[in-house]
Amino acid sequence: MNVGLNQLLVASAALFAVGAFALVARRSAIVMLLGTQFMFAAGAIAFVAFGTFGLGTRTLGAGAAVALFAGATAVAELAVGLTMAALIYREHRSFAVDADRE
Amino acid sequence: MPLIGALPQPITSAPLVILLYVVLTLMIVSALTSVLVRDTLWAIGAFSSSMVLIAVLYLTIAPFLLFAVQLLVFTTVSAALLIGLLRRTTGLGRSTQGPLRRDWIVGAAVVAALLALLVVVLATTSWPIGLIGNAGPGVGETLGTKYVVGLAVLVVILASAALGSGLMLAAPTLPSLRGGGPIRGSGPRR
Repeated sequence: MNVGLNQLLVASAALFAVGAFALVARRSAIVMLLGTQFMFAAGAIAFVAFGTFGLGTRTLGAGAAVALFAGATAVAELAVGLTMAALIYREHRSFAVDADRE
Repeated sequence: MPLIGALPQPITSAPLVILLYVVLTLMIVSALTSVLVRDTLWAIGAFSSSMVLIAVLYLTIAPFLLFAVQLLVFTTVSAALLIGLLRRTTGLGRSTQGPLRRDWIVGAAVVAALLALLVVVLATTSWPIGLIGNAGPGVGETLGTKYVVGLAVLVVILASAALGSGLMLAAPTLPSLRGGGPIRGSGPRR
């Protein structure tokens, strides 16, 4: 039993699938934003895994650097998304993104 | 002679492998929980715990700087933003679940088991030091030399996001064409 590139990529794919599920299946803007965060995190994990166990090991810091960029971009996206969620709530008293249709 | 050299070996130390499998499993489970649970506050808690578990994963397979940033910046800022949104909108509200409910007990047992496993791993291996070796320049050096432009762009993105969020929140709300609006009553909709 070991942990290497394959196991980390499987976990990354599972996390990405959870995020995609949240984005597609849930109506709450907050949960959808959490889903996008998971998708960003899954991508970052894959980059770090390749940087540690894959072909990127010659430049160990490269995978981590990309993960840092991805995380910071995710935080910026979360800030803007949550502001939009607050505006949706101010308008409809609900976080549901399809509140207009009800 | 191989073109790219031999790839690094996977982690085989038994306690560390068990820890990593537990962390990966809990990470997926807590992510799924945060997506499926109905209470937003619980969803944020599960999201934060999965972010912390990603930080623990980084502590094993990535440079320490990434672990620190993931734990202290990304997790904290994300949780603070989400809690701040709840405070501005629905309010935090006291949880209807008492401290001795089964969910709390199961959660506490999982955390205790994870901490015990961490203690075992710390005692039996060199984790988290020296696991991934020193195969090249550190992430700080990489950021400072190869990715200076990217770093500058990232600063601009973060500043724009902060500015845009502030402006959107501070802007006055216009009345909705559909009859909605910030002070809409709770009567039946026409």
